[in-house]
Amino acid sequence: MDMSNSLLIGQYVPSNSFIHRLDPRTKIMIIFFFVVFVFFANSAPSYAWLTVFAIGTALATKIKLTFILKGLTPVWFLIIFTFLLHLIVTKEGEVLVEFVSFSIYSDAIQQGIAISFRFFLLILVTSLLTLTTTPIEITDAIESLLQPLKKIKFPVHELALMMSISLRFIPTLMQETEKISKAQASRGVDFRTGPLKDRIQAVVPLLVPLFVSAFKRAEELAMAMEARGYQGGEGRTKLRELKIAKIDVLSFIVFALVIIILFFLRA
Amino acid sequence: MKKISTIELTYGAIFICLMTIGANIAVWFPFLAIPIGGVSVPLSLQTFFAICAGLFLGKKLALLSLSAYTLIGIAGVPVFANMRAGLFTLFDYTGGFLLSFIFVAFVTGWLAEKQAAFKITNSFFIAVIGVAINYLIGVNYMYIAMNTWLGLTISYPTAWLSMTPFLIKDGIMAVFAAILLVHMMRRLPNTMFLNNSQKI
Repeated sequence: MDMSNSLLIGQYVPSNSFIHRLDPRTKIMIIFFFVVFVFFANSAPSYAWLTVFAIGTALATKIKLTFILKGLTPVWFLIIFTFLLHLIVTKEGEVLVEFVSFSIYSDAIQQGIAISFRFFLLILVTSLLTLTTTPIEITDAIESLLQPLKKIKFPVHELALMMSISLRFIPTLMQETEKISKAQASRGVDFRTGPLKDRIQAVVPLLVPLFVSAFKRAEELAMAMEARGYQGGEGRTKLRELKIAKIDVLSFIVFALVIIILFFLRA
Repeated sequence: MKKISTIELTYGAIFICLMTIGANIAVWFPFLAIPIGGVSVPLSLQTFFAICAGLFLGKKLALLSLSAYTLIGIAGVPVFANMRAGLFTLFDYTGGFLLSFIFVAFVTGWLAEKQAAFKITNSFFIAVIGVAINYLIGVNYMYIAMNTWLGLTISYPTAWLSMTPFLIKDGIMAVFAAILLVHMMRRLPNTMFLNNSQKI
């Protein structure tokens, strides 16, 4: 099933750019700060500067820009909608165009453009993370970044392991669901007609086997893990070690410069 | 928090998979796409599965499992409704509904641990509370998101009004969820309820 494969890699697009090779923690942290600092932009030059940074980073991933922008299709609607809403709602500044009972103000266009741009930047940059990093790398990074929570006895290792296990089992359970659906259909169960009430009741013979098979897998997996000597996170070694390299430090410095310049460009 | 056993860990992981299936259930069971005014709207059983997580896992494990589900989605695996994923999904105006599932699972888990026995009334009560939390967090988050970072001015009553059709849908779903829960519990072996096994 190709859907299972696409699930495992998520939205990841393989390439050998330096952005792909950055430590996933670096990427998560820079994107987190970018999301915060986008809200500090308040003038045309500051927005332009952030756009230069975002587009520059997107180009540096060596993924085709048209491909990245295509991936944003579902949210284009939101961006355009926001812009149009601002045109209608904002009533400040000079009147630019006047229809019968409705006029467009200069501030409306300004604000509309600013906010649509903010949207665009947020969506573009956050999607760069998942385009250049595999879910497994992100899971490792999350585990590493959440380490401080261990101090308050939050089970960080277990959380990360749950995530990794689910990555492996989501496609399996999806296939299982399909099998159950077909099996019940072959027994002559017809769900397609009838009132809503009957349709929802028809879910029971589908959900019960789904839960049973899911829990069976969980039990088998737990047994297999214990048979192989799994005993929690204490002293466990890692197959993939995360390492902050020179390129990561350099990226942080460049990003800090971008932000400092942003503050000079603010109105 | 007491140490998490291996079986609890794998159950928590499996619930992440179940949540993914619940969120996109209409993909496999196309009859769950309900035609509303010519457009077929796929039902999502996320709230139902979040409630199940609370019932089966108990509050702590449910909280952990649903947090992991949200993080997996952020990591780019299309586990959210309509196969969405990515960090932006949380910043979007529907992000609050997604975050609320963590609390739905926790609170229903907590309530389930307090019940002496499961009957249709208890089950209904738990399902209604679950949907209430879902919408209280979801709609308030939507209002805040729209009026701050999304920059869309919307009044508080409008925020609720725009969600009313969905609220009615999920209200009805809660009734069915309650019935479904009782049916399922009778059919599933006791041992599958990790923290509530003695009550069935």
